[in-house]
Amino acid sequence: MDVLTGNLTRLAAVNPDTDAEIIARWSRDSQFWRLAHTEPAWPVAPAYVKRKLDEDPIERPRFAIRTLTDDRLIGLIGLYTIFQAQREAFMGIQIGEREFWGKGYGTDALRVLLRYAFDELNLLRVSLSVLEGNERAARSYEKCGFCLEGRERHAWAYDGRRWDEIYMGLLREEWQALGKED
Amino acid sequence: MSYDLFTGNLVRLAALNAELDAEAIARWDVDSEYMRQLDSGPHLPNRAKKIREAIEKMQSEDPKTIELCVRSLVDDRLIGFVAFDEINWQHGDTFVAIGIGDSDYRGNGYGTDAMRVMLRFGFMELNLKRIQLDAFSYNERAIKSYLKAGFVMEGRQRGMLLRNGQRWDFVYMSVLRDEWLALNNEQRHWSES
Repeated sequence: MDVLTGNLTRLAAVNPDTDAEIIARWSRDSQFWRLAHTEPAWPVAPAYVKRKLDEDPIERPRFAIRTLTDDRLIGLIGLYTIFQAQREAFMGIQIGEREFWGKGYGTDALRVLLRYAFDELNLLRVSLSVLEGNERAARSYEKCGFCLEGRERHAWAYDGRRWDEIYMGLLREEWQALGKED
Repeated sequence: MSYDLFTGNLVRLAALNAELDAEAIARWDVDSEYMRQLDSGPHLPNRAKKIREAIEKMQSEDPKTIELCVRSLVDDRLIGFVAFDEINWQHGDTFVAIGIGDSDYRGNGYGTDAMRVMLRFGFMELNLKRIQLDAFSYNERAIKSYLKAGFVMEGRQRGMLLRNGQRWDFVYMSVLRDEWLALNNEQRHWSES
Protein backbone atom coordinates (compact mmCIF):
# COMPACT_ATOMS: atom_id res chain seq x y z
CA MET A 1 0.00 0.00 0.00
CA ASP A 2 1.23 3.44 -0.88
CA VAL A 3 0.49 5.92 1.88
CA LEU A 4 -0.46 8.65 -0.62
CA THR A 5 -2.73 6.58 -2.89
CA GLY A 6 -6.49 6.21 -2.41
CA ASN A 7 -9.23 4.48 -4.43
CA LEU A 8 -9.89 7.28 -6.93
CA THR A 9 -7.04 9.68 -6.39
CA ARG A 10 -3.46 10.00 -5.33
CA LEU A 11 -1.70 12.87 -3.62
CA ALA A 12 1.37 14.06 -5.50
CA ALA A 13 3.93 16.82 -5.19
CA VAL A 14 2.77 20.11 -6.66
CA ASN A 15 4.82 21.13 -9.68
CA PRO A 16 4.64 24.94 -9.82
CA ASP A 17 5.94 25.00 -13.42
CA THR A 18 3.22 22.81 -14.88
CA ASP A 19 0.36 23.19 -12.36
CA ALA A 20 0.20 26.99 -11.91
CA GLU A 21 -1.63 27.50 -15.22
CA ILE A 22 -4.39 25.05 -14.24
CA ILE A 23 -4.74 26.35 -10.67
CA ALA A 24 -4.98 29.93 -11.97
CA ARG A 25 -7.76 28.84 -14.35
CA TRP A 26 -9.80 27.52 -11.38
CA SER A 27 -9.61 30.96 -9.72
CA ARG A 28 -11.70 32.47 -12.56
CA ASP A 29 -14.63 30.36 -11.35
CA SER A 30 -16.04 32.49 -8.50
CA GLN A 31 -18.51 29.80 -7.46
CA PHE A 32 -15.61 27.39 -7.03
CA TRP A 33 -13.75 30.01 -5.04
CA ARG A 34 -16.67 30.43 -2.65
CA LEU A 35 -16.61 26.70 -1.94
CA ALA A 36 -12.83 26.41 -1.67
CA HIS A 37 -11.99 29.50 0.37
CA THR A 38 -13.42 31.69 3.07
CA GLU A 39 -11.54 34.75 1.76
CA PRO A 40 -13.08 36.98 -0.94
CA ALA A 41 -12.96 35.60 -4.49
CA TRP A 42 -9.98 36.85 -6.43
CA PRO A 43 -8.83 35.78 -9.87
CA VAL A 44 -5.08 35.22 -9.82
CA ALA A 45 -2.55 34.99 -12.65
CA PRO A 46 -0.45 31.88 -13.34
CA ALA A 47 2.77 33.76 -12.50
CA TYR A 48 1.35 34.71 -9.10
CA VAL A 49 0.29 31.13 -8.36
CA LYS A 50 3.71 29.84 -9.40
CA ARG A 51 5.49 32.34 -7.16
CA LYS A 52 3.28 31.42 -4.19
CA LEU A 53 3.84 27.69 -4.70
CA ASP A 54 7.59 28.21 -5.12
CA GLU A 55 7.61 29.98 -1.75
CA ASP A 56 6.10 26.97 0.05
CA PRO A 57 8.47 25.84 2.80
CA ILE A 58 9.84 22.38 2.04
CA GLU A 59 8.26 20.86 5.16
CA ARG A 60 4.71 22.05 4.39
CA PRO A 61 2.51 19.16 3.21
CA ARG A 62 0.66 20.62 0.20
CA PHE A 63 -0.36 18.07 -2.41
CA ALA A 64 -1.81 17.99 -5.89
CA ILE A 65 -4.87 15.74 -6.10
CA ARG A 66 -4.51 13.56 -9.22
CA THR A 67 -6.98 11.02 -10.60
CA LEU A 68 -5.75 7.45 -10.61
CA THR A 69 -7.22 6.66 -14.03
CA ASP A 70 -5.58 9.40 -16.10
CA ASP A 71 -3.29 11.23 -13.66
CA ARG A 72 -5.18 14.48 -14.16
CA LEU A 73 -4.71 17.38 -11.73
CA ILE A 74 -8.17 18.09 -10.28
CA GLY A 75 -7.51 19.83 -6.97
CA LEU A 76 -5.25 20.69 -4.08
CA ILE A 77 -5.16 19.47 -0.51
CA GLY A 78 -2.85 20.12 2.39
CA LEU A 79 -2.09 20.41 6.06
CA TYR A 80 -1.34 24.08 5.78
CA THR A 81 -0.59 24.99 9.37
CA ILE A 82 0.99 22.46 11.70
CA PHE A 83 1.29 23.17 15.41
CA GLN A 84 4.14 20.74 15.94
CA ALA A 85 4.33 20.59 19.73
CA GLN A 86 0.55 20.16 19.92
CA ARG A 87 0.53 17.51 17.16
CA GLU A 88 -2.29 19.41 15.45
CA ALA A 89 -2.82 20.61 11.89
CA PHE A 90 -5.30 22.83 10.07
CA MET A 91 -6.24 21.36 6.70
CA GLY A 92 -7.78 22.59 3.47
CA ILE A 93 -9.04 21.01 0.28
CA GLN A 94 -10.31 22.21 -3.07
CA ILE A 95 -11.51 20.39 -6.18
CA GLY A 96 -11.04 22.87 -9.03
CA GLU A 97 -12.31 20.77 -11.92
CA ARG A 98 -16.12 20.93 -11.87
CA GLU A 99 -16.65 17.59 -13.60
CA PHE A 100 -15.17 15.92 -10.49
CA TRP A 101 -17.55 17.55 -8.02
CA GLY A 102 -19.98 15.37 -6.09
CA LYS A 103 -18.44 12.08 -7.22
CA GLY A 104 -16.38 11.12 -4.20
CA TYR A 105 -13.00 12.38 -5.41
CA GLY A 106 -12.69 14.97 -2.66
CA THR A 107 -13.73 12.51 0.04
CA ASP A 108 -11.22 9.98 -1.29
CA ALA A 109 -8.38 12.53 -1.28
CA LEU A 110 -9.39 13.62 2.22
CA ARG A 111 -9.24 10.04 3.50
CA VAL A 112 -5.72 9.71 2.11
CA LEU A 113 -4.68 13.00 3.72
CA LEU A 114 -6.07 11.90 7.09
CA ARG A 115 -4.15 8.63 6.91
CA TYR A 116 -1.04 10.68 6.17
CA ALA A 117 -1.79 13.05 9.06
CA PHE A 118 -2.40 10.36 11.67
CA ASP A 119 -0.22 7.47 10.52
CA GLU A 120 2.71 9.31 8.96
CA LEU A 121 2.90 12.61 10.85
CA ASN A 122 1.50 11.09 14.08
CA LEU A 123 -0.82 14.02 14.70
CA LEU A 124 -3.33 14.06 17.57
CA ARG A 125 -5.95 16.19 15.82
CA VAL A 126 -6.88 17.69 12.45
CA SER A 127 -8.98 20.85 12.23
CA LEU A 128 -10.75 22.63 9.39
CA SER A 129 -13.29 25.33 8.73
CA VAL A 130 -16.02 25.57 6.12
CA LEU A 131 -18.29 28.40 5.07
CA GLU A 132 -21.95 28.09 6.06
CA GLY A 133 -23.96 26.81 3.11
CA ASN A 134 -21.26 24.53 1.68
CA GLU A 135 -23.32 21.45 2.44
CA ARG A 136 -21.47 19.13 0.09
CA ALA A 137 -18.15 19.81 1.79
CA ALA A 138 -19.64 19.52 5.28
CA ARG A 139 -21.16 16.14 4.36
CA SER A 140 -17.86 14.92 3.00
CA TYR A 141 -16.07 15.99 6.20
CA GLU A 142 -18.66 14.20 8.32
CA LYS A 143 -18.27 11.08 6.21
CA CYS A 144 -14.56 11.14 7.04
CA GLY A 145 -15.30 11.44 10.76
CA PHE A 146 -15.13 15.19 11.42
CA CYS A 147 -17.62 16.59 13.88
CA LEU A 148 -18.98 20.08 14.38
CA GLU A 149 -17.07 22.00 17.03
CA GLY A 150 -18.26 25.55 16.77
CA ARG A 151 -19.23 28.43 14.55
CA GLU A 152 -17.98 31.94 14.20
CA ARG A 153 -21.20 33.82 13.57
CA HIS A 154 -21.41 36.25 10.67
CA ALA A 155 -17.71 35.80 10.01
CA TRP A 156 -17.90 36.66 6.32
CA ALA A 157 -20.06 38.97 4.20
CA TYR A 158 -20.83 37.92 0.63
CA ASP A 159 -23.65 38.37 -1.86
CA GLY A 160 -25.55 40.78 0.32
CA ARG A 161 -25.73 38.66 3.46
CA ARG A 162 -23.48 37.36 6.21
CA TRP A 163 -22.31 33.80 6.65
CA ASP A 164 -21.01 31.81 9.59
CA GLU A 165 -17.65 30.06 9.48
CA ILE A 166 -18.10 26.53 10.78
CA TYR A 167 -15.27 24.78 12.61
CA MET A 168 -14.89 21.01 12.56
CA GLY A 169 -12.32 18.67 14.08
CA LEU A 170 -11.25 15.05 14.11
CA LEU A 171 -9.30 13.43 16.93
CA ARG A 172 -6.76 10.68 16.46
CA GLU A 173 -8.74 8.22 18.62
CA GLU A 174 -11.92 8.89 16.63
CA TRP A 175 -10.12 8.33 13.35
CA GLN A 176 -8.57 5.10 14.62
CA ALA A 177 -11.99 3.84 15.75
CA LEU A 178 -13.39 4.54 12.26
CA GLY A 179 -10.76 2.31 10.69
CA LYS A 180 -11.77 -0.62 12.86
CA GLU A 181 -15.37 -0.48 11.60
CA ASP A 182 -14.38 -0.86 7.95
CA MET B 1 5.86 30.13 45.56
CA SER B 2 4.52 30.55 42.07
CA TYR B 3 5.47 28.01 39.48
CA ASP B 4 7.48 28.98 36.45
CA LEU B 5 8.23 26.46 33.75
CA PHE B 6 11.69 27.86 33.09
CA THR B 7 12.86 28.22 36.68
CA GLY B 8 14.65 25.50 38.61
CA ASN B 9 16.22 25.46 42.07
CA LEU B 10 19.56 26.99 41.10
CA VAL B 11 19.10 28.29 37.58
CA ARG B 12 16.60 29.59 35.12
CA LEU B 13 16.52 29.13 31.37
CA ALA B 14 16.23 32.27 29.29
CA ALA B 15 16.34 33.37 25.68
CA LEU B 16 19.78 33.83 24.22
CA ASN B 17 20.46 37.42 23.36
CA ALA B 18 22.65 37.30 20.26
CA GLU B 19 23.97 40.78 20.85
CA LEU B 20 24.87 40.42 24.55
CA ASP B 21 25.64 36.72 24.99
CA ALA B 22 27.91 35.98 22.04
CA GLU B 23 30.89 37.54 23.83
CA ALA B 24 30.48 35.27 26.86
CA ILE B 25 30.07 32.17 24.70
CA ALA B 26 33.19 33.13 22.74
CA ARG B 27 35.11 33.33 26.05
CA TRP B 28 33.92 29.84 27.10
CA ASP B 29 34.87 28.44 23.73
CA VAL B 30 38.52 29.34 24.31
CA ASP B 31 38.61 26.70 27.08
CA SER B 32 39.71 23.52 25.32
CA GLU B 33 38.83 21.32 28.29
CA TYR B 34 35.24 22.58 28.08
CA MET B 35 35.10 22.24 24.33
CA ARG B 36 36.39 18.68 24.43
CA GLN B 37 33.54 17.72 26.71
CA LEU B 38 31.06 19.44 24.45
CA ASP B 39 32.08 18.64 20.93
CA SER B 40 33.83 15.86 19.05
CA GLY B 41 35.21 18.19 16.36
CA PRO B 42 38.65 19.77 16.56
CA HIS B 43 38.88 22.52 19.16
CA LEU B 44 38.48 25.79 17.28
CA PRO B 45 37.65 28.95 19.19
CA ASN B 46 35.27 31.19 17.26
CA ARG B 47 34.97 34.92 17.07
CA ALA B 48 31.97 36.44 18.88
CA LYS B 49 30.74 37.76 15.53
CA LYS B 50 30.39 34.27 14.07
CA ILE B 51 28.67 33.00 17.21
CA ARG B 52 26.27 35.94 17.07
CA GLU B 53 25.44 35.16 13.44
CA ALA B 54 24.85 31.50 14.28
CA ILE B 55 22.46 32.42 17.12
CA GLU B 56 20.55 34.83 14.87
CA LYS B 57 20.28 32.26 12.11
CA MET B 58 19.06 29.57 14.51
CA GLN B 59 16.47 31.89 16.07
CA SER B 60 15.12 33.14 12.77
CA GLU B 61 14.84 30.07 10.62
CA ASP B 62 15.46 26.74 12.32
CA PRO B 63 12.33 25.09 13.76
CA LYS B 64 14.39 22.02 14.68
CA THR B 65 16.58 23.79 17.25
CA ILE B 66 15.67 25.53 20.49
CA GLU B 67 18.67 26.95 22.31
CA LEU B 68 18.36 28.68 25.67
CA CYS B 69 20.91 30.12 28.02
CA VAL B 70 21.38 29.03 31.63
CA ARG B 71 21.42 31.81 34.25
CA SER B 72 22.09 31.42 37.94
CA LEU B 73 19.13 32.39 40.11
CA VAL B 74 21.13 34.27 42.76
CA ASP B 75 22.89 36.76 40.51
CA ASP B 76 21.33 36.15 37.08
CA ARG B 77 24.78 35.40 35.72
CA LEU B 78 25.07 33.73 32.30
CA ILE B 79 26.79 30.41 33.06
CA GLY B 80 25.93 28.10 30.18
CA PHE B 81 23.52 26.95 27.51
CA VAL B 82 21.13 24.09 26.93
CA ALA B 83 19.58 23.19 23.58
CA PHE B 84 17.22 20.84 21.85
CA ASP B 85 18.79 19.99 18.55
CA GLU B 86 17.40 18.05 15.59
CA ILE B 87 13.90 18.00 17.06
CA ASN B 88 11.97 15.31 15.22
CA TRP B 89 8.37 16.39 15.68
CA GLN B 90 6.94 13.47 13.73
CA HIS B 91 8.37 10.90 16.14
CA GLY B 92 8.47 13.16 19.20
CA ASP B 93 12.21 12.79 19.62
CA THR B 94 15.10 15.20 20.09
CA PHE B 95 18.75 15.50 20.96
CA VAL B 96 19.64 17.64 23.92
CA ALA B 97 22.98 19.36 24.49
CA ILE B 98 24.20 21.24 27.52
CA GLY B 99 27.32 23.12 28.47
CA ILE B 100 28.28 24.97 31.64
CA GLY B 101 30.77 27.38 30.13
CA ASP B 102 31.61 29.24 33.33
CA SER B 103 34.05 26.90 35.13
CA ASP B 104 33.13 28.35 38.56
CA TYR B 105 29.73 26.71 38.21
CA ARG B 106 30.84 23.20 37.24
CA GLY B 107 30.37 20.32 39.64
CA ASN B 108 27.91 22.20 41.83
CA GLY B 109 24.60 20.91 40.49
CA TYR B 110 23.89 23.82 38.17
CA GLY B 111 24.04 21.67 35.03
CA THR B 112 21.84 18.95 36.53
CA ASP B 113 19.31 21.57 37.58
CA ALA B 114 19.31 23.15 34.12
CA MET B 115 18.85 19.72 32.51
CA ARG B 116 15.90 18.97 34.80
CA VAL B 117 14.21 22.21 33.78
CA MET B 118 14.90 21.48 30.11
CA LEU B 119 13.40 17.99 30.41
CA ARG B 120 10.27 19.41 32.00
CA PHE B 121 10.03 21.90 29.13
CA GLY B 122 10.52 19.11 26.57
CA PHE B 123 8.02 16.67 28.04
CA MET B 124 5.34 18.94 29.49
CA GLU B 125 5.34 21.86 27.06
CA LEU B 126 6.65 20.48 23.76
CA ASN B 127 5.07 17.05 24.38
CA LEU B 128 8.14 15.14 23.23
CA LYS B 129 8.27 11.39 23.85
CA ARG B 130 12.00 10.77 24.00
CA ILE B 131 15.04 12.94 24.70
CA GLN B 132 18.48 11.62 23.89
CA LEU B 133 22.07 12.73 24.08
CA ASP B 134 25.56 11.52 23.50
CA ALA B 135 28.52 11.98 25.81
CA PHE B 136 32.16 11.04 25.69
CA SER B 137 33.28 8.24 27.98
CA TYR B 138 35.96 10.39 29.67
CA ASN B 139 33.35 12.95 30.70
CA GLU B 140 32.33 11.14 33.88
CA ARG B 141 30.93 14.19 35.62
CA ALA B 142 28.47 14.79 32.79
CA ILE B 143 27.40 11.14 32.65
CA LYS B 144 26.76 11.15 36.39
CA SER B 145 24.67 14.30 36.02
CA TYR B 146 22.61 12.79 33.20
CA LEU B 147 21.90 9.68 35.26
CA LYS B 148 20.75 11.91 38.11
CA ALA B 149 18.40 13.78 35.77
CA GLY B 150 16.79 10.48 34.71
CA PHE B 151 18.73 9.42 31.61
CA VAL B 152 19.36 5.73 31.02
CA MET B 153 22.45 4.27 29.37
CA GLU B 154 21.49 3.07 25.92
CA GLY B 155 24.60 2.02 24.10
CA ARG B 156 28.08 2.99 23.06
CA GLN B 157 30.12 3.34 19.94
CA ARG B 158 33.43 1.92 21.00
CA GLY B 159 36.65 3.75 20.30
CA MET B 160 34.87 6.40 18.27
CA LEU B 161 36.95 9.23 19.63
CA LEU B 162 40.74 9.65 19.41
CA ARG B 163 42.00 12.19 21.91
CA ASN B 164 45.52 12.64 23.25
CA GLY B 165 46.48 9.37 21.58
CA GLN B 166 43.83 7.36 23.33
CA ARG B 167 40.55 5.89 22.11
CA TRP B 168 37.31 6.75 23.90
CA ASP B 169 33.69 5.67 23.46
CA PHE B 170 30.65 7.63 22.40
CA VAL B 171 28.04 6.98 25.08
CA TYR B 172 24.36 7.18 24.14
CA MET B 173 21.75 7.94 26.78
CA SER B 174 18.04 8.72 26.67
CA VAL B 175 15.01 9.31 28.83
CA LEU B 176 11.48 8.36 27.77
CA ARG B 177 8.45 10.45 28.61
CA ASP B 178 6.85 7.69 30.69
CA GLU B 179 10.02 7.16 32.74
CA TRP B 180 10.30 10.87 33.34
CA LEU B 181 6.64 11.20 34.35
CA ALA B 182 7.08 8.36 36.86
CA LEU B 183 10.26 9.89 38.27
CA ASN B 184 8.60 13.26 38.72
CA ASN B 185 5.15 12.12 39.81
CA GLU B 186 3.58 13.83 36.81
CA GLN B 187 0.31 12.58 35.37
CA ARG B 188 -0.42 11.40 31.87
CA HIS B 189 -3.37 13.44 30.77
CA TRP B 190 -4.24 11.64 27.59
CA SER B 191 -3.71 8.27 26.01
CA GLU B 192 -0.94 7.97 23.50
CA SER B 193 -0.01 5.41 20.96
